[in-house]
Amino acid sequence: MRKQFKETTFDLAARDDKVVIILGDISHFLFMPVQEKFPARVYNMGICENGLISVAAGLSSQGFHPFVHTINPFITERCVEHIKDDLCYNGFGANIVSTGASFDYAWDGATHHCYGELATLRMLPGMEVTQPGNARELDTLIRSQYNNSRPTYFRLSDNGHNLDVPVQFGKANILKDTGSELTIITAGPILGNVMEAVRDLPVNLVYFTTIKPIDTDVIARFRHTKILVVHDAHGLQEAVHEVPDVAVSYHGLPDRFCVSYGTVHDIRREIGLDPAGIRHAAQDRLAVL
Amino acid sequence: MAAMHPFCREIRRNILIASRASGHGHIPTSFSIVEMLCAAYDTLRHRPAEPRWPDRDIFVLSKGHAALGFYAALAQYGYFPVEELKTFGAFQSRLGCHPDRQKAPGVEVSTGSLGHGIGVATGMALAFRIAGSPRRVVTLIGDGEANEGSVWESIMIAVNLKLANFTVMLDFNRSQVRSLQIPNPAERFKAFCCDTIEVDGHDLEALKSALLRPSGAVKAIVARTVKGCGCPTLTRNVFEWHRRSPKPDEFDSLMKELEAA
Repeated sequence: MRKQFKETTFDLAARDDKVVIILGDISHFLFMPVQEKFPARVYNMGICENGLISVAAGLSSQGFHPFVHTINPFITERCVEHIKDDLCYNGFGANIVSTGASFDYAWDGATHHCYGELATLRMLPGMEVTQPGNARELDTLIRSQYNNSRPTYFRLSDNGHNLDVPVQFGKANILKDTGSELTIITAGPILGNVMEAVRDLPVNLVYFTTIKPIDTDVIARFRHTKILVVHDAHGLQEAVHEVPDVAVSYHGLPDRFCVSYGTVHDIRREIGLDPAGIRHAAQDRLAVL
Repeated sequence: MAAMHPFCREIRRNILIASRASGHGHIPTSFSIVEMLCAAYDTLRHRPAEPRWPDRDIFVLSKGHAALGFYAALAQYGYFPVEELKTFGAFQSRLGCHPDRQKAPGVEVSTGSLGHGIGVATGMALAFRIAGSPRRVVTLIGDGEANEGSVWESIMIAVNLKLANFTVMLDFNRSQVRSLQIPNPAERFKAFCCDTIEVDGHDLEALKSALLRPSGAVKAIVARTVKGCGCPTLTRNVFEWHRRSPKPDEFDSLMKELEAA
């Protein structure tokens, strides 16, 4: 997805002289061609994430459309108050683009894991929160939202799914509607595992790439069913509750740090977010309908 | 110390009147920045009758808790009626105890949490450079605020970008004698490679000269100030008066002290 992020913003920078790209000393090599082409609008500004958010706010105040990019927990969780004050409260826009979703950096340990930011950013007034599932979805969502002068979060992952879903900002995709009394709701790259897990099960499957604003219309269509949120992060299950009186359970993160190393697949298996674990969770719910 | 300019005395009078009327206000810190505010608005290009004039220079009050002093200066320059100061902190007022850019004319950035305005101001200065604009940006920070790491992040970013259109004014009123002191801020700014000037922060002409002095780098103006400047009662009791408004008898006595300053 990171490569796509570069391709998309390279193209946008060529079309729109209000695009400014700020790197927090990550993806520097990747963006070198963009920097060469647009030296006045591409900056590797340093390892100072709070400062980067403030600078982006200042750029936005003067009509620019900044992208701020670095590793997930540093540009989101570390910067929550800067995002709240400098962007949301001031009414300035910026595109915050993180890399290292959930357990993408499994081998680096829990300082580099990030699964709470979708929930945290969702609580900030005026914030848009997206979780594209693959490169194509990322391209669609960025092009749709980058220049709306609102603060928008894009969560990159190195482990996108291979499914072809026609996504649109703010809209959910109904991938399976079987008339089942159980509806699986998921978002982002984990869709690959979810689809593999439930493809042949009698469940409905709804896929989100926008966590805020959440598509309440689609959730409301399935409110008469039991809903199982399968997600390798926080934020989606909370958003689903925007629709009143829904029966929601959650299959996702434990309330502990995942301190094993290895790869994202190892950690997903450990916490039951591999296809087998997800299938097991779905079958458990189906058994008690 | 230079004699107090009548314009600055009037701003301080209005701070006291507004604080008395509203029951709110950080008076000592508002008093310490009056000359700095006037120096900024005397030297920047701005139009009080047209606060969003597209060619204006930008002033950002990063230490947002000095809002009352800021508003009193904005009113004195004509951004809104002086009478409106009495609504300070009231439910429907445009003038909150920290400035909101979407409410108060002349406010460019909503501040309050420390260490934020300076970063947004840095982004504005970068925006003007990218746009090839001659507009300048001045931000005013406090020495207490300079405890925040994000202040120094912003300064490093601005220096690294060589933003010669950017000036940081430090209100060195020694508010941090009670906790984390920065006893030598000019040395700090120099160490961060700012073009650093140290002046008497109540000398309006010296401040204006410092602001107008050409520079090819990020400029830092360390303004030595006195919390509560103009009223000995305040300067002697800065901690007691940090955030409170005067009772009727105290108000009369502070006004008299101010007239004598």
